[in-house]
Amino acid sequence: MTLALGGPGLACSAMRLRRLAAGELLGEERARAEEHLAGCARCQATAREIEAERRDLAESLPFQEFAAGVAERLARPAQGPLVLRALPLALAAGLAVAAATPLLLRLTRPEDGTRPKGGASAVLFAQEGAAVRALAPGDPIPEGARLRLSLVPAGRRNAAVYVVDADGAALLYAGPALAGPLPDAFEWTGGGPGTLLVLLSDGPLDAVALAARLGREGARAEPPPGAEAVRLPLRRGRR
Amino acid sequence: MARLTVIEGGRAEAERPGPSASPAPGLLEDLYRRHAPAVYGRCRFLLRDPEAARDATQDVFARALRALPEFRAAASPTTWLMRIATHHCLNLLRAARAGWRDEVRRAADGRRAQGLEPDRRELVRALLGAAPVEAREAAVLYYVDEMTQEEIALATGRSLPTVRKRLRQFLASARAALAEACPGLTLPEGDEP
Repeated sequence: MTLALGGPGLACSAMRLRRLAAGELLGEERARAEEHLAGCARCQATAREIEAERRDLAESLPFQEFAAGVAERLARPAQGPLVLRALPLALAAGLAVAAATPLLLRLTRPEDGTRPKGGASAVLFAQEGAAVRALAPGDPIPEGARLRLSLVPAGRRNAAVYVVDADGAALLYAGPALAGPLPDAFEWTGGGPGTLLVLLSDGPLDAVALAARLGREGARAEPPPGAEAVRLPLRRGRR
Repeated sequence: MARLTVIEGGRAEAERPGPSASPAPGLLEDLYRRHAPAVYGRCRFLLRDPEAARDATQDVFARALRALPEFRAAASPTTWLMRIATHHCLNLLRAARAGWRDEVRRAADGRRAQGLEPDRRELVRALLGAAPVEAREAAVLYYVDEMTQEEIALATGRSLPTVRKRLRQFLASARAALAEACPGLTLPEGDEP
């Protein structure tokens, strides 16, 4: 039996179909690819396989799991800190929707048996001039740096974010626990040390009452029942 | 109260990345939606193991994020990522290729028992184990991704004669491997790339 191994056809290319599916082809190139696809059984079969890959991925590696895995790899110490130079702050924070790495603190409260819902974390990005970087654990906060927190809420519905330091507690955000960067950046003008505290809960959070309690008890205050906490240490200085 | 200044929206509107630079809600989610199915498909195809493919897929995207400027400058992000994925998986497979004869037999004979031709790409995958290391990537890009030799040369930064040479190396090794593992199956003569 003689069998050809295949290879590109006159107008057939699996890679071109992948590029089409990824939205990379534009204008005339896209029109040509679509026209060819409409009349080519071989490419239609390839397109079906590409669609099947999409379903396969969604079942085998859902986004949250994927993002947590990528974040974990990026956070590995041997790789060094992730430095994102010249990327706009919002873009860098967008990476952390789940790439969420250097300042990633898993929600673990083994002392009370609360089980994290899976990979919830937060990443703090700092912008100085044109450079944006994810802050690694222990990284000092430079004076004047614009900070933006990005959440990976891992299914929690509500979030409240506080800056807690020697001057008390300030509420930075309260609302739906949406994955990704918070709407507003901020500049921490207090002295150190401090804590950026993220509370995540399936139920409502009384953010104002909690701020008062955090002001009295500090960032180590027990979270409300059912809520989980991510604490990111803040300290002043330069790298 | 802790002292902080909230900067509404974080930055001036003009400095924000546009939709093409940072599609909501985040770059990683966009990468996942656009490219992860193909990368995962490639990893599964080459590694034959869902768990290993999941790990490899995440490795590939971590690598892409570390090389973000290079990724964003690529003429085709899809091609760039697929190359990374292919290269990564071929590296993982290097140490585990001793069983290529059995794989070639399975790929060649598995469907023939049902009266079907062997799956060409499955056969190519099995034959990679018998091919010289330097010829494997070109073989995947040509026979699986169906890229032209010119496209492969462009994507890999190799010269066209080098690409052609590597494809011929692959084909020669494939012929020898089939002759050894599946004497009943041959590749057409004069089918050189």
